[in-house]
Amino acid sequence: MQKFILFTSLFTIFSGPLLAENAVSNNKNKLPSGEQVATNINSRDEGEAVSRKLSIEMSDKRGKTRHRETMGYRKYYAAEKRTVIFYLSPKNIKDTAFLTYDYNDPELEDTQWLYLPALRKVRRISASDRGDYFLGTDMTYEDIKLETRISTADFNFQTLGTCSADGNSGLQIEGTPKTKKIARELGYSKTLSCVDNKIWMVRHSRFWDIKDNLLKTVTISNIEKVQGIWTQHNIDVENHKTGHSTKLTFSAVDYQSPVPDDIFTTNAIKRGL
Amino acid sequence: MPHLTVSKVLIPYAQVLSAKPRLILATINAVLVAVLSCLFTSQAYAFDVQSSLISSAEWSARSHNLKRQNFQLTLEPEFILRFDKRVKLTALSRLRSMSLDALSPKKVTDNAYSLYSKPLFIGNSSEFELREFYLEIPSDNYYFTLGKQQVVWGKADGLKVLDIVNPQSYREFILEDFDDSRIPQWMVNIETSVGEWDAQFLWIPDQSYHVLPVDNALYTPTSPLLIPKPPPGVSVEVEPIDQPGRTLMDSDVGLRLSRFWKGWDLSLNYLYQYDNFALPYQRRSITANGPHVEIEPQYRRTHVLGGSFSNAFDDWVLRGEVAYFSDRYFLAEGFSDIDGITKGAEASYVLGLDWAGLENTLISGQLFQSAALNRQSATLRDKTNSTLSLLVNHTLLNETMELRLVWLANTNIGDGLFRLRASYEWQDNLKTWVSTDTYYGSEEGIFGQFDDNDRLTFGVELAFE
Repeated sequence: MQKFILFTSLFTIFSGPLLAENAVSNNKNKLPSGEQVATNINSRDEGEAVSRKLSIEMSDKRGKTRHRETMGYRKYYAAEKRTVIFYLSPKNIKDTAFLTYDYNDPELEDTQWLYLPALRKVRRISASDRGDYFLGTDMTYEDIKLETRISTADFNFQTLGTCSADGNSGLQIEGTPKTKKIARELGYSKTLSCVDNKIWMVRHSRFWDIKDNLLKTVTISNIEKVQGIWTQHNIDVENHKTGHSTKLTFSAVDYQSPVPDDIFTTNAIKRGL
Repeated sequence: MPHLTVSKVLIPYAQVLSAKPRLILATINAVLVAVLSCLFTSQAYAFDVQSSLISSAEWSARSHNLKRQNFQLTLEPEFILRFDKRVKLTALSRLRSMSLDALSPKKVTDNAYSLYSKPLFIGNSSEFELREFYLEIPSDNYYFTLGKQQVVWGKADGLKVLDIVNPQSYREFILEDFDDSRIPQWMVNIETSVGEWDAQFLWIPDQSYHVLPVDNALYTPTSPLLIPKPPPGVSVEVEPIDQPGRTLMDSDVGLRLSRFWKGWDLSLNYLYQYDNFALPYQRRSITANGPHVEIEPQYRRTHVLGGSFSNAFDDWVLRGEVAYFSDRYFLAEGFSDIDGITKGAEASYVLGLDWAGLENTLISGQLFQSAALNRQSATLRDKTNSTLSLLVNHTLLNETMELRLVWLANTNIGDGLFRLRASYEWQDNLKTWVSTDTYYGSEEGIFGQFDDNDRLTFGVELAFE
């Protein structure tokens, strides 16, 4: 165990700057800290509520492609953020729905439910399932919940330097899980993200698994203002371990139409849209 | 806007059911016709139609010699009409055909179906059933679901304590998915909010009951715990089931209150229903030919009061159900009761623990116990009956492949059932599976009675939208 800790420490000390893309070491002290970057990302305006369509395209390494159409809603409340996703097609997954309450209090575990039409029951899901992949995609339940935010409750962040993604310059931040338990739960030992510091959105991320192997790459693109709010329209995830990939396409994004409170209930996910 | 004649939807179904429509069907149809007429004729409402078809084929063979047991084809067309204001009409039917005479759709207690829910039997090997036909009408603080539907209560998997609103077909014992074996009923289902609680009220005038296989069908029950065995030399005559037939007075009613409270999903449930199993009341006599028993099956009412809960703790989910049945009727032991049935009460619970500590894996154990209370005489069943279940479910290849083990074990008799299943989704609309069902234990047991029916199954499902 001591050897592992020593190795991990050495890896962290020596590999960070080497992994940083276009790191500018002499500017490092002038750059905002990782925590500041994380705070800026998480305080970015996301609107009080949003509704949107989400198309999911999943491809395996042999080229087999599956498509999903969903409708999603998210709303901020005083004590929590509530998110619900309804599957509209295809038939084999239609009417499946996922509901989560993500509490502001980091001491409180998220509350999650999944409606499975084959059982006609709403199942309570353990919040520690958050590292499991979400319904066959390359996004985990935690990724789905966070959207483009990052978790300061789970990770320590440090700024490594500057970077460039999709022609936009930004800041390279590294995230390391605060505890081994968190790393095991999430399935990540490290993240490396290029954050566009003009709009405080992550444009590109890489994730390493708990054995420190490169696990997946996430590319966020087609970022445009919708109703005055910077909004991603495409998220591409490539899993390097399995060769599987997932493309998420957001459309009909609407921050202004009211989202009813009763859509974030177990009754609503049972009834469907 | 497309126009659809309402009579095209309802009249053929009424013809299928019976030439003697009764008050209840007329009432339900009248309500549906009135609502649908408003929806279809008003220019203020537009609607769109979603349709889909699931077709499946399943081949099964005896495990020990691979001799063919059955080949079954199923077609399930579904239509959903969406109107403005989130009003929705769902129609789901099922056409099923099978090759094995011992699984014939007609070899069941078909009079356990009400006139309004009975499938149409086509020859000896096929059946057509309107599975579901209901209208959903949301309003400010109410949500109405009117028509033929399934209502599922409770938190347990595979073991039923509160999931008793709809009766069930035991044509394939408990091997069919509950979604397929539940018998949907015509009912009024109203949901509303009362403060922090969600309330659901059910009125179920449709008097359908559990459907059991008969006449030496593959899954005809033989356990003496379920079917009384006459002593040698006693002649037996079984009368038709005396079914409750009063539309209003014999209706089932139910009420569920549920809420989310400090991390707990809670519900309180009440049901006033006929027990869905017919009770084989006996009339014993001595005739010139010797002892004679006349069986007069009857249904009896009970109040059911119960509740359910679930919560998550770290890697674990704790869930459970409990129910108290005020009036239970048990098979009496020997001649301890004059009509072979003894009255009492019953308390049941199921306690489940799910563990999700391994990636894409769910391991779940359940303990189910029921206790017969206040019995007026000795019963064939033990006072306490216990069943354990284990579920291990693992998905891989981005959930295109699923491996599942289910083990059910009755600890009173020592019998049980092992189920293994592997399924693979080749495409979004194409799935295949292979499974085995293996019984063990004494033939007196609920599971052991089917020890000769171990089977290997291969299936394929194709969906169209």
